[in-house]
Amino acid sequence: MPRPAPDTIAFTVDGLEVNAPAGMMLADAAKLGDVEIPVFCYEPKLGEPVGACRMCLVEIEGIPKLQTACSTPVRDGMAVNTQTARVKEAQEAVLEFLLINHPLDCPVCDKGGECPLQDITYGWGPGRSRFIEPKRHFVKPLALSPLIAIDRERCILCYRCVRFSQEISEDYQLVLQERGADSYVSTFDGHPYVAPFSGNIIELCPVGALTSQPYRFRARPWDIEGSGSVCLGCPGQCNVEYTVRDERVLRVLSRQHDGVDDGWLCDRGRFGYQSFHVDERVTHPLVRVDGELIPVAWDRALDEAAAALGGAGSDSGALAGGKTTNEEGWLLQELFRGALGSPNVDSRADGMLPRELHAALHAPALQATVPDLEFAHAVLVLDCEPVDDQPSLDLRIRKGVRRNGVKLAVASSRPSSLDANAAAVVRYAPGAGEAFCAALNGALGESDAGPGSATRKGVVEELAEAAGADADAVRALAAVLADAGEDVVIVYGERLTHGARGEDAARALLNVCGRVAEAGHDGAGLLEVPAGTNGRGLREVGVLPNAAPGLAPVSPVGLASAELGASAAAGAISALYLLHVDPLRDLPGRATWRAALQRADHVIAHADFLSEGLWEYATIVFPAESYAEKEGTITHPDGRVQRLRPAIARPDAVRAEWNVIADLSKRLGHDVSVLSGAMASARVFEAIPFYAGLTLDELGGRGLRWPARPAAAGWPAADTGPFGLETPPHAPTPNGALRLGTFRSIWAAQEVEVAPALKFLRQRQRAELHPVDAERMGLAHGDRVTVGSNGSRVQATVVLRSGVPEGSVFLEAGIAEESASELDGGGLVEVSPQ
Amino acid sequence: MSWTPGDEMLVVQRASPPGAAGGTYRAFGETLRGLKTTMSRLVEGPKTISYPEEKVPVYPRFRGRHRLHRFEDTGLEKCVGCSLCAAACPADCIRVVAAENTPENRVSAGERYAAVYEINLARCIFCGYCEVACPFDAITMGHDYEMSAYNRTDLIFTKEMLLDEPLERTPLRGEGE
Repeated sequence: MPRPAPDTIAFTVDGLEVNAPAGMMLADAAKLGDVEIPVFCYEPKLGEPVGACRMCLVEIEGIPKLQTACSTPVRDGMAVNTQTARVKEAQEAVLEFLLINHPLDCPVCDKGGECPLQDITYGWGPGRSRFIEPKRHFVKPLALSPLIAIDRERCILCYRCVRFSQEISEDYQLVLQERGADSYVSTFDGHPYVAPFSGNIIELCPVGALTSQPYRFRARPWDIEGSGSVCLGCPGQCNVEYTVRDERVLRVLSRQHDGVDDGWLCDRGRFGYQSFHVDERVTHPLVRVDGELIPVAWDRALDEAAAALGGAGSDSGALAGGKTTNEEGWLLQELFRGALGSPNVDSRADGMLPRELHAALHAPALQATVPDLEFAHAVLVLDCEPVDDQPSLDLRIRKGVRRNGVKLAVASSRPSSLDANAAAVVRYAPGAGEAFCAALNGALGESDAGPGSATRKGVVEELAEAAGADADAVRALAAVLADAGEDVVIVYGERLTHGARGEDAARALLNVCGRVAEAGHDGAGLLEVPAGTNGRGLREVGVLPNAAPGLAPVSPVGLASAELGASAAAGAISALYLLHVDPLRDLPGRATWRAALQRADHVIAHADFLSEGLWEYATIVFPAESYAEKEGTITHPDGRVQRLRPAIARPDAVRAEWNVIADLSKRLGHDVSVLSGAMASARVFEAIPFYAGLTLDELGGRGLRWPARPAAAGWPAADTGPFGLETPPHAPTPNGALRLGTFRSIWAAQEVEVAPALKFLRQRQRAELHPVDAERMGLAHGDRVTVGSNGSRVQATVVLRSGVPEGSVFLEAGIAEESASELDGGGLVEVSPQ
Repeated sequence: MSWTPGDEMLVVQRASPPGAAGGTYRAFGETLRGLKTTMSRLVEGPKTISYPEEKVPVYPRFRGRHRLHRFEDTGLEKCVGCSLCAAACPADCIRVVAAENTPENRVSAGERYAAVYEINLARCIFCGYCEVACPFDAITMGHDYEMSAYNRTDLIFTKEMLLDEPLERTPLRGEGE
């Protein structure tokens, strides 16, 4: 769908001629002429205006009554007055009315000092109130959720929070109860408002009615400083502003960037900052002495690490987790390739993709951007759950569907929260993404060749069966994609390309993409949801066993993460370097990794928390910076290079990690001559042909999409298909057992477990089952079960979900206890009651 | 190398030194003129105030060391920790960290109270803006002006010190004094 490109029209506001795009609301258009019209309920991010607060009344020549500027689009030749006596009287009356029931407890209100109601009352208010009657009273403050406090006396009923819940996050939890003066914002039956995006209503509220519990009474606006950076919680890389007081982050606000986050944050990003300031954090280098990790001086830790790595030489391997910046990733591969001569560096969780496929999947010609999701004709969400994997995308997709009529197709094995908005949904067996892509490709080819073409017919059925999906549903989904239009965006999860058959899955995906999205066409293409925050950047800076910086060829090819684990478990690897990753927590194959960590002579880790694997097996731990302390760049899944800026000082002995890696490299005789964060960034931009010419100044606060720069020509050319593929293997038949699918929920993260405000969301293992399967096994919702396979087992609580395909069970990975990565086996598990 | 003043040197012109008569007058005449004032005041008696045993009473609006107040009836602190004093302070000498009242621990009358309230009197310029800014009359400028200390950190007054009565009260100047 082409983006709207409205004509420019001219209108006058207070006698001043102003040019504005046609159809823009008057309240926005007046700003173009530097005329401010006060508003409370109007917020362009929330979509259609409601005109609830009446604050924006203006006089329009030719219309007898005053009009609301927030819901009146500008027209050519319109003459608007905002300063006449009639408008003034109306504004004063509205403010007097809004203040009738508003308690004047500004000194104790957290919003005081940054409150639109205060500001507008000073600017446009009547100055004195005639109201002497008692005000309306509610019990206050109440906890709307453990994260949000609600003060109903202060509420001016602007509907912003309710609209957010109903129309943006679509969790439909907040409602306005009662009528007239008795109205109040509430949830149904007073249930706590717990949702992935609930924190946004705090920022939306124009008065102090909704306030953050963790920020409650922590600081006033004049005590604090704002510091812009980027959240490293997930691949969404939302732009944030940290509120800092006395070197502590007290709050996270959104720093709106339409190209990235649209101005919304998820609750993990908004409240996870508390994990920067907890006692559990590692703030000194630790070395294991007699089985205990003890704090030591930096020199000792670095010397021991250098000795361990130097001794291991090429019998060493490194893994980088998602929170690694481009600079740290580049320095890490320099340390291993340059100083140690070891090719074993990886940033992907599972399996190795050929370089050409990386190049094809992220080719600038096929790259879709985040705003493309909003204006596409159709969006296919493939093998990912945006709300868990990259929450900001979830809101973006909902926005496109709701406002621009984007046709949404969802294909995943686990039921998705986007199902309700989708025009077509396909469920396939866990791990059968490749077969599904092949079936979809077949179905798309069938519709190309005309409906019901006899030759292809059996093939789609066969492939759909291999994927454990319904052939008619696959056809319906293919029809949605084929009939929508030329702008089709495929959002796929990195996990599709994981595992032994990841390569074939990637080819099958490229085949589908070739059928629905034209290469080089703006607004169409592929958008990956990486497994780690900076997954894309790390691949581009060469943290791959088979590619050097800039995806350049490398020989010899190193071991990918899973092979590295197996090799270490067999005793062939002497030193493991874990940069922001705990294999026991973040990677599949827990049993192998446990053996690997146990067997390796040295396990050197950078970590801000001692998770299980590090606590038990790490020999040297360097304290890692939190992301409010980091300096560097990261790359968004759509190719936007963004800059991280430190907001607070590093606590205690924490050192910049680029500095630690560069120091180690120097001690091992490979001086990369990086003396500052900016130098590290410059070296990265120098080393990667398609980043060429980037500077930190150019990146600024908004980042830059490198695929849109001329240097993108330096991206390696690759064949993007179509590929001839062998028939994908059949998904395992349950035969009484259940197929195991894993997922990682938005709350499965270290910061949720340590941040005091988020602790109540800590995930416990649950087995999601279809009611029919549960009945067959005599299980009910809430029963405790043991899920086992090949001798490994996990305890879980049964959760019945009718959306789960029959014959499958879903378990959560990435949690601290009873993680699904404990289970190994051929994708089939037994569920038995405890 | 010696410094040569060049053209910019000023020539100071002095009067000629006084002669013998002039010198004598300067030594005795002028002294006697001054002693005349002393002698004429002698009958009034000494005016010395023997501080610190004796103190100068201050005017009611004298801006001395700050005081925080409690409600007389309930004993709760008037301060709600709103930080407006800190915002108004031109010397940036007030630090407020607020916390929330709970039913078990009720400190102030409002929802919040000042968990930390510090004034760095080494920085304070006694302008009284904090008193003007306070919406609850919780902070006022007292009459205490004895604030010397051996250590700068002793000049950081905490909430407890500010809430307490001053050890020795400064006399207040009465009407018409």
